[in-house]
Amino acid sequence: MKISEICNSLELKVYWMPDEDVDVKGAVVGDLLSFVMGNAPAGCLWVTIQNHLNVAAVAVLKEIPLVILASGREPSSELISRCESENIALASTSLDAYTICGKLYDLGIRNEERI
Amino acid sequence: MSAREPLIVQREVKPLDFLAAGETASEFKELLKSLGIPTDICRRASIVTYEAEMNTVIHGGGGVMSLRLEDDAIIIVAEDQGPGIADLEKAMQEGYSTAPDFVREMGFGAGMGLPNIKKYSDKLEIDTRVGEGTTLRAYIFIKGQREE
Repeated sequence: MKISEICNSLELKVYWMPDEDVDVKGAVVGDLLSFVMGNAPAGCLWVTIQNHLNVAAVAVLKEIPLVILASGREPSSELISRCESENIALASTSLDAYTICGKLYDLGIRNEERI
Repeated sequence: MSAREPLIVQREVKPLDFLAAGETASEFKELLKSLGIPTDICRRASIVTYEAEMNTVIHGGGGVMSLRLEDDAIIIVAEDQGPGIADLEKAMQEGYSTAPDFVREMGFGAGMGLPNIKKYSDKLEIDTRVGEGTTLRAYIFIKGQREE
């Protein structure tokens, strides 16, 4: 599914969307950067409550095209500018991580392999 | 064996500089990609670099990261003159961490750094002395295994 469709369907607040047509392959949820680094499949979207610059660093290395900040977390200005320079879409939701993941599942986002 | 000189890139890592963290990993990844190294290998090398860089930032009091590209292997070296690792066996266990709380709140310090480095490298050497520092060497073999 395209990241723009996901953001529209779930009414996410979008900070940066470099390419609307990028597809995501599954999803990972978590706030431990090393867990995401070690286990997320490349190309998946990432739901987290971490909102600092290192989120972009992890997203770049794992080729994560879309980061969704949950529970109303706002990104730091450094995070927004790094996402802009690294072409990572960045969005947020007032919903908590559990609920937004449920909605992503309803949209049909699935992981091919167990993380 | 190769007659070519290996490519070596070195970067300084400052202590507790979380904002710069990840830059070395991104830079190494882009460099390897530009040299035509397969994507999967680039990704593994960048994960190893990032985790080692974070360890240097959090625990090592800063240090030097280097990337060495040989014909058959990528070698990532993280060197610091920090406190050293008192119990290396424990440090290699997933979940064991000595990171301070403020670092954990950022999502680091979950005790997964060294296990991730081990997972994504083909060979790992850690030389550590308490009070003197740590040198970590992670090897990623380019053709899946070392050539003779």
